[in-house]
Amino acid sequence: MAKTKRRNVLKLAGTAAVASMGGMAGILATGRMPAFAQQRTVHWLKWVDFVPATDALLKREMMPEAEKALGIKINLETVNGNDLQPRITAGIQSGAGPDLIMSFNSYTHLYANSVVDVSAIAEEVGKREGGIFPYAKAICSNGKVYMGMPWAVIGGMIAYRKSWFDEAGITKFPDTWDSYREAAKKLKAKGRPFGQTLGHTFGDAPGFTYPYMWSWGGKEIDASGKVVINSKETVESVKFMQGLWKDGMDEGGLAWDDTNNNRAFLSQTISATLNGASIYIETLRKPDQYKTEKGTPMNKDILHAPLPKGPAGQFGFHLLQSNMLMKYSKNQDAAKEFLKWIHAEANYRKFFESQKGFATPCTVKWESDKLWDVDPVMAPFKVAARLGQAIGNAGPPDAKAQEVLSKYIVTDMYAKAVQGMPAEEAVKWAEAELKKVYV
Amino acid sequence: MAVTSLPAAEGKRLSPRLRKLEDERWLALALLTPTAVLLGLFIAYPFFEGVMLSLSSTRVGQPGEFVGLKNFHKIWNDSIFRTTVWNTFWYTGVTTVFKLALGLWLAILLNRHFRGKAIIRAFILLPFIIPTVLSTFAWKWMFDPTFSVINWTLFQLGFITTRINWLGDADLAMTSIIIINIWRGVPFFAITLLAGLQTISPELHEAAAIDGARPWQRFWHVTWPLLMPVTLVVVLFSVIQTFADFQLVYVMTGGGPANATHLFATYAYQLGIGTGLLAEGAAISLAMFPFLFIIVVVQLLYIRRVETR
Amino acid sequence: MIEGALWRRWVFYNIPLILFVFVLLFPFYWMIVTTFRPDGELYLPWNAPNYMPFWTNNPTFEHILYLFEETNFARWMFNTMFIALVSTLISLFCGVLAGYALARLNFPYAGGLGTAIFITYLVPQTLLFIPLAEIIRNFKIGDTPWALILTYPTFLIPFCTWLMMGYFKAIPKELEECARIDGASRWKAMIYIIIPVAVPGILSSGIIAFTLSWNEFIYALVFLSSPDQKTVPVGVTSELIRGDVFFWGPLMAGALLGSIPVAIVYSFFVEHYVSGLTGSVKG
Repeated sequence: MAKTKRRNVLKLAGTAAVASMGGMAGILATGRMPAFAQQRTVHWLKWVDFVPATDALLKREMMPEAEKALGIKINLETVNGNDLQPRITAGIQSGAGPDLIMSFNSYTHLYANSVVDVSAIAEEVGKREGGIFPYAKAICSNGKVYMGMPWAVIGGMIAYRKSWFDEAGITKFPDTWDSYREAAKKLKAKGRPFGQTLGHTFGDAPGFTYPYMWSWGGKEIDASGKVVINSKETVESVKFMQGLWKDGMDEGGLAWDDTNNNRAFLSQTISATLNGASIYIETLRKPDQYKTEKGTPMNKDILHAPLPKGPAGQFGFHLLQSNMLMKYSKNQDAAKEFLKWIHAEANYRKFFESQKGFATPCTVKWESDKLWDVDPVMAPFKVAARLGQAIGNAGPPDAKAQEVLSKYIVTDMYAKAVQGMPAEEAVKWAEAELKKVYV
Repeated sequence: MAVTSLPAAEGKRLSPRLRKLEDERWLALALLTPTAVLLGLFIAYPFFEGVMLSLSSTRVGQPGEFVGLKNFHKIWNDSIFRTTVWNTFWYTGVTTVFKLALGLWLAILLNRHFRGKAIIRAFILLPFIIPTVLSTFAWKWMFDPTFSVINWTLFQLGFITTRINWLGDADLAMTSIIIINIWRGVPFFAITLLAGLQTISPELHEAAAIDGARPWQRFWHVTWPLLMPVTLVVVLFSVIQTFADFQLVYVMTGGGPANATHLFATYAYQLGIGTGLLAEGAAISLAMFPFLFIIVVVQLLYIRRVETR
Repeated sequence: MIEGALWRRWVFYNIPLILFVFVLLFPFYWMIVTTFRPDGELYLPWNAPNYMPFWTNNPTFEHILYLFEETNFARWMFNTMFIALVSTLISLFCGVLAGYALARLNFPYAGGLGTAIFITYLVPQTLLFIPLAEIIRNFKIGDTPWALILTYPTFLIPFCTWLMMGYFKAIPKELEECARIDGASRWKAMIYIIIPVAVPGILSSGIIAFTLSWNEFIYALVFLSSPDQKTVPVGVTSELIRGDVFFWGPLMAGALLGSIPVAIVYSFFVEHYVSGLTGSVKG
């Protein structure tokens, strides 16, 4: 019958086309083994590095090296950080996807049921390199297994324009929130506000809002797991944020993602912003493109400082990156070999040096590496892995804390307040949302 | 039956009337089978699964158990969900009204003969043809807080002195996505309404003009009623698509700032795929269905009423 | 229609028309300008002096080159084309047959089936993609084009079916009767007589289905993973929105080049597209 003939032709054409596309996909689709011995491949999904040099290094040099050394083809894919979580979910649900996926913060806890235990690798590396920092351990391990292999900590500091601060009469970077607000006010009056994102981004927004809240004494939960965010301290912090926003911040920040503050800073529309070191590193990379309004290279005018102190102390929330080996992966042994290889000192060092201090490794030994002496502007980032405070303060950084983070509850609390909601209401809203998670 | 040049009929040797009946039903079955299989496998079955999912507590990597209507209860008390519902209705309502008005206007403008009409008609459909994601990027770049060309233009023309925070202010962000949706939809309305206009005989207009009707009255009493059937169907299509819109908001604002532009589809995605709360995401998507169903039924009834008038 | 002074024609017709065309086409112009504008000129704040947004004096191909060298853009184009073509063929096949059955044949539940097909159009994709992911996993077609080729027809078939129903209804019954009197079975009559007459309708459905395939995003986003399996919309979104570095140039280049194939195919079939759109609304 014409109908079935047509269908067969279509199928045949489709199969031929798919097979001719080659590669794993083609093989999977036709369900046949190729004639030659199957080469092992590992698909590694990581974020698009904010230091482009690293991705270039990985793609051009290190992956081919790994291939030669291990006989495994590494498929390195980079995606925007905000897209990692959807990819993880989609992969788990459809049973197919990257073998190794980079995880941010407590994804490791959230997806604990779908990953393979990598304790062997973690413990070996830890022993070799002086121990894994407790911060990384709390996030990557649940006490029994390691859900992810710690990779690096991205320290967040305030990058600021030294000359502009000097001109406004501020010679030392403000170390309390009040003096910070004063400084912002002065600079905004000159058309040089501070910039901060309060949008749904994985990096800069929580990197600011969480430690900000903690420094005022606000916490998400107490040690027993009870939701305590609705406290006098949190409300104070929200009220202050409302004032700070109007007085000194670039009000476009509500719509910013993690790249807008970089661009704003580099095009000289803001004078200070919380960021990883990527702004500075970008100016080092292209000194001719980034010049101050006076014509001098901008990289000589940037300094870094930690977030100011609040009534309850000084905190920093630094993004922890680890790599998860997914349970659905059909290349688990190859992936483990690759992980071991890339954490070998010679190889990891190449990564570390290309980052120029943007990433702080999770083991003790790298803290005293001489890279940190090279550029004093980068020195503050050295201790990011040691000092980081994890989410879920004052409880553990577990799946629930990650859920709160993934839902942007804390960030939204401030975003709503800044857009006009009364502080008490915003905090109450956050409390209700948190209670739904910490049920 | 006489045999002719055409090949002989196949089928059983039954009486002619029975054969026709058998033939037709069997044929219909055969013809509808591919469709039934595809739609059954990839819509009906997943729909059922989706409903079951929304009644469970499944998360990514963790199979859940049946929890009845708990998810629906949870999302009903979720302030973000309530915002989403409002957003979706507002978004759909405002864009549809404007798309209809502007589309109609454009259709009227095109309903003449002039040089280059065919080319213009082809070109103005471009916003509708080009993949939404790609054209939305162009708009995103145009609305960028720091580099917006729209701000530049308004600044040069002296209308503004400080920047308009298109994507950072909740209301402006909603306005931005409404603008883009209208931009995309006007051609669809215009072209289909134009075809509708072209079926209205010019003599009717002339007759009305002779009777002394002004242009506006001609429009209201002649054009509009005759255009009604087409209008209603176009509006129906457009409402269905806009209500379930995903790409535009996903690319432009991701639902922000602070959930101010979340629609059903984007919130379901963020909750289900982003945070891994699959069951709740499914509940939100399912919540879309009754609203959509009611809107569609109301419109269909209205269409039928208009057609039989 | 409206006679009158020249100025009236201009004010009421030509100027609004020009404004409409301008607004509708400006974003594409913007895409083009940004694609060819060097980075140095791109990132000037909106109120910087000497900013000439609408034209560049230093056009460059660097963004397009970047697009092809650093991403799998060519591959994405191929994928999207392939998926669109095969899905369109499948949907046309199903839609033509189903449309004929619903329009010309009498059988029980015909009306109900037609309505059922319509209802499937209302089911939101965001409800289906999780269960579909599981089906995809069971068939082992995750991360391959087949995941999309088999799921796209879910929204293409209803549309094709309605369109073809409309076209088939418009074909006079006499044509078929003649063929049957001549001894052809219904089946043969359909193949040899009716379908050739409905070719314009098939072309219309085909072109609309083709553009709808290119426009699909959610399923492609969820079911595809490897960089070389992606479609253009997903690839451009996921690989050109990057960290802290400027990628608007290649992004616009990607948007521009990604739009071109659809625009070209559409330009060959404009009449069919328009008649298809309007036919679907009338039918």
